[in-house]
Amino acid sequence: MKFYTILVFLFLSLISFAQQSNETIQFKLSFNHNSIAVGNKYFNHTTSDSISFDVIRFYISNIQFFQEEAFAFSLEKKHHLIDLGNPESLIINFDKNTKQNYNLIKFDLGIDSLTNVSGAFGGDLDPTNGMYWTWQSGYINFKLEGVTPSCPARKNFFQFHLGGYQAPFSMVQSIELVILDKKNIIIQLPIEQLLEKINLKETYEIMSPNQSSVNMAKLIASLFSIST
Amino acid sequence: MSLKNFFFLFLTISWFAFSSEQISYFNPPNHFPKPAYDFNSNRLTKEIKELGRVLFYDPVLSKDNTISCASCHSPYNAFAHTDHDLSHGINDQIGTRNAPPLFNLAWQKTFMWDGAINHLDMQALAPISHPKEMNENLKNVVKKLQNKRIYPSLFYQAFKDSLITGEHILKALAQFQLTLVSATSKYDDVQKGIAQFSHQEKKGYLLFQKNCNSCHTEPLFSNQKFANNGLPIDTTLNDFGKWMITKQSSDSLKFKIPSLRNLTYTHPYMHDGRFQKLNQVLNHYNKGIITSQNKFNDLEKSTVLTPNEKSDLIAFLLTLNDKKFVFDHKHQFPREILK
Ligand code: HEC
Ligand code: HEC
Repeated sequence: MKFYTILVFLFLSLISFAQQSNETIQFKLSFNHNSIAVGNKYFNHTTSDSISFDVIRFYISNIQFFQEEAFAFSLEKKHHLIDLGNPESLIINFDKNTKQNYNLIKFDLGIDSLTNVSGAFGGDLDPTNGMYWTWQSGYINFKLEGVTPSCPARKNFFQFHLGGYQAPFSMVQSIELVILDKKNIIIQLPIEQLLEKINLKETYEIMSPNQSSVNMAKLIASLFSIST
Repeated sequence: MSLKNFFFLFLTISWFAFSSEQISYFNPPNHFPKPAYDFNSNRLTKEIKELGRVLFYDPVLSKDNTISCASCHSPYNAFAHTDHDLSHGINDQIGTRNAPPLFNLAWQKTFMWDGAINHLDMQALAPISHPKEMNENLKNVVKKLQNKRIYPSLFYQAFKDSLITGEHILKALAQFQLTLVSATSKYDDVQKGIAQFSHQEKKGYLLFQKNCNSCHTEPLFSNQKFANNGLPIDTTLNDFGKWMITKQSSDSLKFKIPSLRNLTYTHPYMHDGRFQKLNQVLNHYNKGIITSQNKFNDLEKSTVLTPNEKSDLIAFLLTLNDKKFVFDHKHQFPREILK
């Protein structure tokens, strides 16, 4: 009994003395260094063509912070839907104990396989978000849709729905980034770099788990960076 | 009492409170195995399962409000669709597969003839979105339900929240379907020791155990796996079953092993409804097996049955009819609520 009393006392004192600070992680989706807005036209150097985006939407999961390789803390909310069409979703707010330091962030691009086989969830995981396949079970981890005149698809519409949780086409990717500014973490995703490697004249549609979706997921994961 | 003990007491009490409610709506007999469905993630309550029943019978789930789940899964056919070899959906469009019966879904790990769906909760997305079935999308269903008089209060009673979400629609539909338990056939009564097989049924049971039980395993009459039972491919459909999902050649022409309960109510048979009569099914197993189609055939040779043995086997299969389940008012159209 004594032991528990001490524990409870310690716990209570921790709560009352610790200082919380509010910090943010902000996602910046850019094209040639401009923030992307839905429907705006940009110039795609790779195809010498205009390009616009209807949807850029993806899942970020299991955000964890580390200090010199050692785990510091993780965010309570597991899955975050980042959606270009919903500016609020681009910023993740969190509270942290001021004593806790970190210089590295780790997170996953996509939804883990356990969540994929565990039935219906709400909030960011609700299937009404359009990020769940209907004809076959599984979350769409990353969605990119838009129009560029040189794309040979119907109405020049390109669409990539990347997902898949089962080997050999499991696409969830782990990402690690070193943190420079601790108050406001800005994570960049430069889409033009993706379209330098994926030529929209040749590859313009991926709609189910396969080797191309895994390759593209790896490529996207490699493009995230922290800016100052 | 220490904090820890108090915590355990609390857990125990709440577990009992929960399980007694669950037991009154989901009460399989002792000869059934443990269900595969994780009830902790979707706790059965009267209000949620009743909401699921209303949704199941309401055509509001389809684009033009004409097709409900029950249009293809009729309670009087053990929730299959008789008279249609292939399913019949919105605007009289014909699908590519036979609508399977719905019961004992709590024990099923994958769904659809090809296993495309991994969880009962997520299954409803497929028919709702299919252009030849209900041709709707879940987001729009949420909107329509929010604006239909009866629903906000039904969702409030069920989930303590009148704001309708996709998650809640799916979980309610799943709950209703989880309560569709077929466990009151003559076969079950024999297992419970309250009935006996006739002489002929007993002979049929032995033939069944020898020839069929490896795939159609008791007491659910499916081992929940996929197999190629030697049907020749229908070249107008070119349906390769599980291969369509996994693209693994070893899955070619493998289909979900269906339960054999309630066969009297669920004809026609097989994924494409190619057989009208049980006799035709037995003729297939007797001499229709195609073994050359691919090397992954699960039936190496035909079952050889005499005409008498066929009658015995059919007599046994008929003991799997569960009339009580098929005509149970609890599962039928919710007249009190829908018109
Ligand atoms: C147009 C006819 C049609 C409608 C409407 C329909 N279904 Fe089905 N259902 C089917 C067919 C056909 C299959 C088999 C599909 C396959 O294997 O690809 C099926 C399969 C299923 C399965 C899987 C059963 C198993 O054993 O694997 C479930 C569960 C189910 N439907 C529930 C529903 C629910 C819930 C609704 C309403 C939201 C619904 N269905 C609406 C035709 C229909
Ligand atoms: C190798 C595994 C296997 C064995 C053994 C087997 N079956 Fe099947 N059975 C299946 C599969 C798989 C299907 C579904 C095939 C399809 O639809 O393409 C099926 C379908 C059926 C159906 C149709 C059910 C429905 O709802 O459509 C009946 C009836 C049936 N089997 C009876 C039997 C009988 C009787 C025996 C023993 C003589 C038997 N099966 C042996 C695998 C097997």
